[in-house]
Amino acid sequence: MSYLAPETLEQALSALADPGPMRLVAGGTDVFPALGDRPLRGGLIDLTRVAEMKGIAARDGGWRIGGAVTWREILKTDLPPCFDGLKAAAREVGSVQIQAAGTLAGNLCNASPAADGIPALLALDAEVELASRDGTRRLPLADFVTGVRQTALRPGEILSALHIPVQPEGARSSFLKLGSRRYLVISIVMVSAVLWCRDGRIAGARIAVGAASPVARRLPALEAALTGLAPEALGAVTTPDHLAPLQPIGDVRGSADYRRAAVAELCDRALRKALHG
Amino acid sequence: MDFNTAAETNIFDRPKILGKAVPRRDGPLKTTGRAPYAYERHDVAEGQLVGYPLGSAIAKGRILSMDTEAARAAPGVRAIVTTLDMEAMPVPSEMHTAHLFGGDKVEHYHQAIAVVVAETFEQARAATALIKVEYDADEGAEFDLLAAYEKMKDTPVDPEVSKGDFETAFANAAHRIDRTYVTTPQNHAQMEPQATVAAWDENGNVTLWTSNQMIQWAKKAVAKTFEMDVEKVRVDSPYVGGGFGNKLFIRSDVVLAALGAKAAGQPVKLAMPRPFVMNNTTHRAGTVQRIRIGTDAQGKIVALAHEGTSNTLPGGSGEDATNQSQHFYAADTLLIATRLAEMHLPEANAMRAPGEASGLMGLEMAMDEMAEELGMDPVQFRLVNDTDTSPATGKKFSDRNFARCLTEGAERFGWENRNTTPGSRREGDWLIGHGVAGAFRPSPATTSGARVRLQADGRIIVETDMTDIGTGSYTIIAQTVAEAMGMDIEDVEVRLGDSAFPVSSGSGGQFGAVSSTAGAYAACTALRREVARRIGHNDADGLSFARGNVTAGAKETPLVDIAPEGEIVAEDKVKFGSFRKDRMVATFAAHFVEVGVNAWTGEVRVRRMLGVCDAGRIMNPTTALSQVIGGMVMGVGAALSEEIAVDTAKGVFINHDLANYEVPVHADIPEQEVVFLDTLDPVSGPLKSKGVGELGLCGVAGAVANAVYNATGVRAREYPITLDKLLDGLPEV
Ligand SMILES: Cc1cc2nc3c(=O)[nH]c(=O)nc-3n(C[C@H](O)[C@H](O)[C@H](O)COP(=O)(O)OP(=O)(O)OC[C@H]3O[C@@H](n4cnc5c(N)ncnc54)[C@H](O)[C@@H]3O)c2cc1C
Repeated sequence: MSYLAPETLEQALSALADPGPMRLVAGGTDVFPALGDRPLRGGLIDLTRVAEMKGIAARDGGWRIGGAVTWREILKTDLPPCFDGLKAAAREVGSVQIQAAGTLAGNLCNASPAADGIPALLALDAEVELASRDGTRRLPLADFVTGVRQTALRPGEILSALHIPVQPEGARSSFLKLGSRRYLVISIVMVSAVLWCRDGRIAGARIAVGAASPVARRLPALEAALTGLAPEALGAVTTPDHLAPLQPIGDVRGSADYRRAAVAELCDRALRKALHG
Repeated sequence: MDFNTAAETNIFDRPKILGKAVPRRDGPLKTTGRAPYAYERHDVAEGQLVGYPLGSAIAKGRILSMDTEAARAAPGVRAIVTTLDMEAMPVPSEMHTAHLFGGDKVEHYHQAIAVVVAETFEQARAATALIKVEYDADEGAEFDLLAAYEKMKDTPVDPEVSKGDFETAFANAAHRIDRTYVTTPQNHAQMEPQATVAAWDENGNVTLWTSNQMIQWAKKAVAKTFEMDVEKVRVDSPYVGGGFGNKLFIRSDVVLAALGAKAAGQPVKLAMPRPFVMNNTTHRAGTVQRIRIGTDAQGKIVALAHEGTSNTLPGGSGEDATNQSQHFYAADTLLIATRLAEMHLPEANAMRAPGEASGLMGLEMAMDEMAEELGMDPVQFRLVNDTDTSPATGKKFSDRNFARCLTEGAERFGWENRNTTPGSRREGDWLIGHGVAGAFRPSPATTSGARVRLQADGRIIVETDMTDIGTGSYTIIAQTVAEAMGMDIEDVEVRLGDSAFPVSSGSGGQFGAVSSTAGAYAACTALRREVARRIGHNDADGLSFARGNVTAGAKETPLVDIAPEGEIVAEDKVKFGSFRKDRMVATFAAHFVEVGVNAWTGEVRVRRMLGVCDAGRIMNPTTALSQVIGGMVMGVGAALSEEIAVDTAKGVFINHDLANYEVPVHADIPEQEVVFLDTLDPVSGPLKSKGVGELGLCGVAGAVANAVYNATGVRAREYPITLDKLLDGLPEV
């Protein structure tokens, strides 16, 4: 088995172009557990040393988060309040050990319906940067994750960075996760909200829900309903109509009916949390 | 030493060290990684190879063929042993149900069917995946306990206990309830998986450095499985990273390591991967419990029936949820019956407080429902039905302070300020509820031996094959010996877990502390006699042992001067006489819990827990407290999240890791308060103490469940009470 640890994106991409099955790995916190008892076939390309994929940088009013950035780095970086939701998600991905190894890109590429990073990044309107030997393309995150463990990543491509666009002034955010125990738990549902106010009214909001459909979804009807509301008076705003994009299933963690009921409450809580801390 | 009459006043009644909060001796070793667990015994045998197990992919059927060619050719592979290489090995003991290895018959999913031995772990694992197995699976096997229960519930069975005319008493009772409760299968989820290093010598002796609670049972079981002389087997298990019953008996790790070592001609170490622990070893069976209670107008129980059904492999005994119902509460008439639903799930066997842990989850919820039916305070209802005699056996309890547990607990908890109308107390989004439950668990004792060796320097070495599974055995045995010999505890060294040492009770059934300390005391008594002889006395009566000296009249001799040329070795065992069986020796507790339940989502947050325990003399309040708070955490898991999910089509436990089998995390557990009544039970043993390790778990889940009901008004009768089970009754949904 070959194990490559390229230091530049170009080296990584040419390694990936080599014949023979090569897999990308970052923290390995999804790759290795998923193997179970099966041996690893082919080789590994370790992305954690690729220079272009490191670090978080402010750029053109927005931010570029390198494709090898870990959850812990997100937590350690000084970022404006619109990132509070992403930071809250970072704090809830597994345990501190997992957060130190696991990357945002790995979470997105693994595309689990219960991936905690996806709602938080959807609510930030994130885009992914996909590098290949033919060049680089960008996709909105919503178009990147296409199904249960399915993404738009093409053979030969690497998720080299995430881009967070300029956020409206004063944008604040939150992330909440519901599980049957308090911590170190796979989500029954999770919600992330980003919202901003003007003149004492909610001027806009982005709300995304995970683990309640094959792919995490934004809730446009709820977002629209919020616009113009006064933050102080915000009570129970989420109605069943707002949840139309979701198709929760029942599993060991909770029934479909329960998920539907819990999502509505979690949305309201996430909104209150974003507004009032 | 024969313990044939109740203990009189003895040295333990004026204790200097026993009963003190001596810190756990193995604590610093474990927290700094210096207590080697079985898989880390690198120094005990040279040239250790690594074994990796292969488990069956079907639950029931036969193995037609196994192709190991590719695996044998894989890098580093030194030996492969498959189940088809031999006939079925004998079932290791009468307490085992499944055979552990050999033959083509598959009894349950992940039954061990091969071991691959290689130079490294990675090589062994990779090669194992190359073995191709052809199965002939039995179609249509039954794996669903609830479905099996529906089919068998109306078929009459011979009751285990039938006292008086239950049916008539129940029919004529002033108040009655008839309810069915369900507990799902559970896993012990101990941190350390089963692991063994095995080495054979040229004379056919085998040594197993393993992780086991019962050294003597393990030794005999190995001999039986391998059809060899028991004296050729040595088992060593000084540190055990949690057992909870999962390590009472040898499991396939022992057999595979030994087979692998034999085949490779070199020592082999093998640890079970976590999914293999879940499906290859044992679990606590699920239960369906029908409970009927009838009372008179004042709330006295006139009729009590508890019928328990559980899953088991054919020939096994499942989980008997009914035991406590025979003894715990005064009941004029009793009907106790059990049914076994035989199915080819992995082996059901003992898990911490087998029987009572599940049985009280049913009974204590039923007691709560009955109290509500009566309009009575649930504490009062239990007090009214307190008894000093087991209704089933008619035997008196040796010492029972359950009423004190209830009243002192109620007082301390502030029970009079509890929420009395279910679903009516609210703080913001949280519904607040309070629950109580009683706990009962027998406190048996069994023969236990030890050897004490007084050294030339006045120190003492204690040797016994007793185990410390995180429970505190090292510490309380040192306390006992220091007390009995009048020495400083630092001068006592305790060695455990080696089958070369005198046979002890081992750790199980909360008999270990009572028995093994009495065994150590027996050995000390023999040593005191020998010391007396050395200073010219016939026996040790009238001598006093204190501050490292022995005093006869005015003459004081330091123990250092007793054996200047070598050591004095004394060995004895305690045997518990039959008089102990004339009484019911048992432990009791009352648990009080406050929960908050989110009105919108049903999230349950335990806010306060109090346990008041009646377990005789508390030998060490620190280790006893650790046992009870650990038990309480386990009880929260049982109440709220721990469930083995069964694939009822394939007979597989699907949530086979600690990510998906959800035990509580720290953030789930609030302040826990534990009170020990610290009484004395002279019938129990010479130290007048009883077990606490299992008591700490008993009743806890029932108290949590009753608190959840009290908070919400939703009675969930199927454990664990996960969030979605409360959905229908949440006020805001
Ligand atoms: C104990 C435990 C608890 C966990 N708890 C949670 C949790 O609470 N919430 C949660 O969401 N997740 C959880 N996870 C899953 C996992 O930790 C996260 O999804 C993590 O973010 C994955 O990142 P990674 O770097 O380890 O990914 P890896 O395992 O290295 O990779 C995951 C996938 O992404 C691909 N990949 C990685 N980087 C790139 C890239 N730059 N370009 C293209 N493809 C790439 C890999 O090929 C692979 O298919 C848990 C995992 C464990 C083991």
